[in-house]
Amino acid sequence: MKIVVCVKQVAVLGDEVEFTADARDVDPDYLDFALNEWDSYATEEALRIREGLGGEGDEVVVVSVGDEQVENAMRRCLAMGADRAIRVDYARSADPITVARLLAPIAERESPDLVFCGVQSSDGVQAATGTALAELLGLPRVAVVTRIEWDPSAGRATVRRELEGGLIDLTEVDTPALLTIQTGINQPRYANLRAIKQAEQKEIEVVSPAEQGEPAYRVRRMFAPSKGEGAEILAGGPADIARRIREIVEERLK
Amino acid sequence: MTPTRSTFAGLSTWEIVFWYFLIAVSTAIFVWGVVRLVLKYRRGRGPFYFDRPLTRLRRAAVVVLTHSWIKRRDPVAGAGHFLIFYGFVVLFIGTAILGFEDDFAKPVLGWDFFRNEFYEVYSLFLDVFGAALIVGLVVMAYKRGIQRPFRLRYWRPDRPEGEDGRRLYVIGDWAFLGILFFLALTGFLLESFRIAETNPSFEVWSPLGWTVAQAFRGLGLTGTTAADAHFVQWWVHGVAALGFVASIPFTKAVHMLASPASVASRDEQAGRALAPIPADAKPDEVGYGTILDLPPRYLVQLDACTKCGKCHAACPATNSGYPLSPRDLILDLREVAEGALGIRHELHLEPLYGSKESIIGDIIRPETLWSCMQCMACVEICPVGIEHVPIINQMRRRLVERGEMDATLQQTLESIYETGNSFGEASRKRARWTRELDFDVKDIRKEPAEVLWFVGDYASFDPRNQRVTQTLARMLRHAGVDFGILYDAERNAGCDVRRVGEEGLFNHLREENVKAISNCTFDRILTWDPHSFHTLRNEYGAFDVDWHVVHHSQFLLELVNDGRLAPKKPLDYRITYHDPCTLGRYNGVYDEPRQLLAAIGTELVEMPRSRDNSFCCGAGGGRIWMNELKRDDAPRPSEQRIDEALALGGVDYFVVCCPKDVTMYEDAIKTSGHQGEIELRELTELVWESLDLVLPVPAGDRGGEEEHA
Amino acid sequence: MKGTLIVAEHLRGELRELTRELVTAAQQLGGPVTVAVIAADPSEFDVGFQGVDEIVNVPLGRQEFENDVYQVALEALIADREPHAVLLGFTVNSMGYGPAVAAKLGLGFASDVHGLALEAGAVIATRSFYGGKVDAELEFRADRAVVLLVRPTAFAPAADGGKASATEFAIELPSARARHLEFEDAAAGDVDITTADFLLSVGRGIGDKEAIPQFEQLADKLGAVLSVSRPLVDAGWMPNARQVGQSGKTVKPKVYLALGISGAVQHLAGMKTSGTIIAVNTDPEAAIFNVAHFGAVADLFDVAAELEKLP
Repeated sequence: MKIVVCVKQVAVLGDEVEFTADARDVDPDYLDFALNEWDSYATEEALRIREGLGGEGDEVVVVSVGDEQVENAMRRCLAMGADRAIRVDYARSADPITVARLLAPIAERESPDLVFCGVQSSDGVQAATGTALAELLGLPRVAVVTRIEWDPSAGRATVRRELEGGLIDLTEVDTPALLTIQTGINQPRYANLRAIKQAEQKEIEVVSPAEQGEPAYRVRRMFAPSKGEGAEILAGGPADIARRIREIVEERLK
Repeated sequence: MTPTRSTFAGLSTWEIVFWYFLIAVSTAIFVWGVVRLVLKYRRGRGPFYFDRPLTRLRRAAVVVLTHSWIKRRDPVAGAGHFLIFYGFVVLFIGTAILGFEDDFAKPVLGWDFFRNEFYEVYSLFLDVFGAALIVGLVVMAYKRGIQRPFRLRYWRPDRPEGEDGRRLYVIGDWAFLGILFFLALTGFLLESFRIAETNPSFEVWSPLGWTVAQAFRGLGLTGTTAADAHFVQWWVHGVAALGFVASIPFTKAVHMLASPASVASRDEQAGRALAPIPADAKPDEVGYGTILDLPPRYLVQLDACTKCGKCHAACPATNSGYPLSPRDLILDLREVAEGALGIRHELHLEPLYGSKESIIGDIIRPETLWSCMQCMACVEICPVGIEHVPIINQMRRRLVERGEMDATLQQTLESIYETGNSFGEASRKRARWTRELDFDVKDIRKEPAEVLWFVGDYASFDPRNQRVTQTLARMLRHAGVDFGILYDAERNAGCDVRRVGEEGLFNHLREENVKAISNCTFDRILTWDPHSFHTLRNEYGAFDVDWHVVHHSQFLLELVNDGRLAPKKPLDYRITYHDPCTLGRYNGVYDEPRQLLAAIGTELVEMPRSRDNSFCCGAGGGRIWMNELKRDDAPRPSEQRIDEALALGGVDYFVVCCPKDVTMYEDAIKTSGHQGEIELRELTELVWESLDLVLPVPAGDRGGEEEHA
Repeated sequence: MKGTLIVAEHLRGELRELTRELVTAAQQLGGPVTVAVIAADPSEFDVGFQGVDEIVNVPLGRQEFENDVYQVALEALIADREPHAVLLGFTVNSMGYGPAVAAKLGLGFASDVHGLALEAGAVIATRSFYGGKVDAELEFRADRAVVLLVRPTAFAPAADGGKASATEFAIELPSARARHLEFEDAAAGDVDITTADFLLSVGRGIGDKEAIPQFEQLADKLGAVLSVSRPLVDAGWMPNARQVGQSGKTVKPKVYLALGISGAVQHLAGMKTSGTIIAVNTDPEAAIFNVAHFGAVADLFDVAAELEKLP
């Protein structure tokens, strides 16, 4: 049994931002990096399914697209308990369809029983890579899954798809399938530093990128959004702010 | 008549032979008991040996003979034990002398010394020390039975009321006092019956025995009646004594052997410098998960506990409704050791435990382990040298290895790994606090400086603490100190990360800090964060660094003494000073802050719990990163401390010198409803005020008020 | 036809408001606007809004959404109508097939689009990056259609009264490899946050579970109802019924006071039409300030403590 988990190392912008000279991206000096929160849930879910099945030779394989830097995020998954990691070497930022095209050959090669992606990445918030990848792999898919009950021998899984408002759509999907995993599905385990350090000894397979075709979009210009009219800043210390808030509330609730 | 007595007067040869037989049996049982104990200890992890054995023996001898550890914080109990100890020792030596005389000196060497002056002095000593023994026992009985201080009560914070299961302990405690009292009593009776028989005048050298004998004689007990009584009493006392000796390894009396051994085994750096995890350790070798994981010397320490309860009384967790008592932790581990490896296991007496059974779970619950603030109050005060703090730390390591921790702690640790600080802020924000200053702070990565100022997380990122940091920066500049900071290269020093049990993350942080600091040129490292102070000074040794680390209380005092800082106006405040755990108990720095406070003219009033008895604010051991574990109705440690300060009466300021203390106590003053009755000042802020410079400095959370220095 | 194709969103017999917004969005691109309704009985839904030029009913599959069905239907519609742009809502349903269509047909794609423009015949879409902190304008290949998932509430809903007529478009039913079984409603909570006039909303910034009673108390004192953002529900600290956001409730109180909420896209979607939004966050770049009417860069606990103190 094999589950492939596609993970992303996301960029985190702090409270200051500068743009590159061509104004098409943020200056990387202002970025920090971390494993995408959704992907830690996805990795945890894959590990739990593997532990539940308890078979010999079951594998959880993490795959990611990026340069050497993204191996940090992958090592976290290895430290959590994933068996192998594969990186598609690609240094530029990419839209979700392009990423899916880069992931597809690897996922195909692995012939997994399940493929997990996070619902979305916290930096891009496109929520598209998983579904696009499923299409390229020809797999049935369900997006935004909050619970999985998989019967490998029957070739299908019953999953809970979380709609707006918290409504659950109980869905049956043929497997092998690709599922995009929503936060809250489990509690991702802590990867302690010893495990992370041991993961650093593990070889991460690096593959060269396949044909990506045309990108889905091109960024023409990136800029700081207008704060909206009337985003009036309340000045002063906490006491002043609290007083102003009270005034505003009283006035608006009249 | 020659002043002497015959040991076996009135006994037939067969009776004497039987007596020696009983000695052999009693000794055999005693030896078997001791061997069982040693075998139990040897099952611990690692070799059963001690480094520097002579130094240890000598230290143990001094500590035991002077009772220097026992008498701390309870001189009455200390005196009581002193009397019991020396009473018992002298009586024991007295019996040994008898044995030597009867079994070796007289028959083999033909040397009969047990007479005349020797006998008279001997008798006096034994009577006096026998009486001392009884007095000591009375003191202890009074303590346990009548005074019943908090520390001697068996209430457990981690079990529901009434379910402490300590009846056997109570019985054992009284039985121990009882048997010793019985031995002393029967000994005196034996003596008085012997004297009453013929009433020789030299026996006045046994004053107590003599007096009681006269009373008995007055009641008509003389001659053969006395001899018969003596005969019976001889056997009663003799069998009781042999029985007691045989029972030593199996009862509370074992502490006579285990406690000095524990004192000898004590690691001076216990809790202060923790042992590393070997690089090749497997998951089930990390920390302690089963009783077999404890090293032999800790198994010895478990047996040394006499349930004095001093750790229980000192522990801030126990006193604030957390499910932790260091005493109960040690006793629980002891019971597991006995039930899995010890005599109880050998004799199949309940409760039994599997030796490979996990001790973390039902026996010692995770929340018990997570409640610890690693403040070292328990280790500090234990009269027999038990090392509760490293034991808890090792068990935490196993929990971390298994990933069993609350989500808040997990998030903080992940955050520290990702950003290098516990606030989850980008590293480039570390030096944001410098923007408020009207001068540039040197980047010590780029230029050398005399002082490398390691700022620390709380001092860098927490708004209230940033004010102290800024004040300190201004003060250092005013004093002409050449200092620099690491800017974004600084990482959390790792003290609390280590105490939480995440050794791997600690190593990682340490590596990064050493890399950054080693590239800099400086004479000394300064910090106002005691946690950073402690760990940089004591726990970075694996990297072979030769740093001279100084806390700002020491450094500022130096500047004042050198005249580089000149307090202009003595501050007329009545203040109390809270010793931070990592500065005080961990590093013995108690005087410099006090000297500094005196130098700026404040009137220091000490709280009842000060110096090595300081009461932790509750943030230590990583607790500031964890969910609340205490009972809702119990006051927080920090709130209790504020109450303690207020009880002194008329105190203007509660003075601290640790950033976590600043945070905890500013909070506690508010939440305990005492805002306005007392204010918090950090040491730096008071010193700054005393310099009386004409610069406005906000000093305290007064909602934007400004105060001129 | 250089028009725009919209796929209507519906759930349990109700047409979602979002469909109207897509029509308004389509106006930005010019050209005819076609709305397709895919369901077993599409005529149940009236999508004749102002601005709709053509309605296409696709009677297919079940009444409820299944991603394979919608994908096949959309692909067929694209082949038939050759639109310039395909507009879907940025919704859970669309996430299940929109990107698949784009990948399969090699189309342009972007999701969570909140701005649209036509420049020299080319579609320019505006969306946020880096967790909502910056915006960007995107351009697409001119020779291919583009599939765009549009952010709900980014555009105003189109009004009724359009004059389009409906035609039928028949396709062979594909097999659905993911099949809808049934719905499970989210547990109803003790309180309905959608009816409150004043919501005090807290997020990850409160640190841990133990802080919640303090904010419940504060809410009580202020006369507000306590609501939360998703992470607190994920962690199990509060029930889903208290969640504001796309997977929780959409709320429109008179006053929305957000403490320590950064403003993740799906959260903003649930509250940005509130009457007055006041946000307190230590991060001046937090996305919530983009929708707030009043903002304070401060520590939420300090402000909460001061609010507590007011008489």
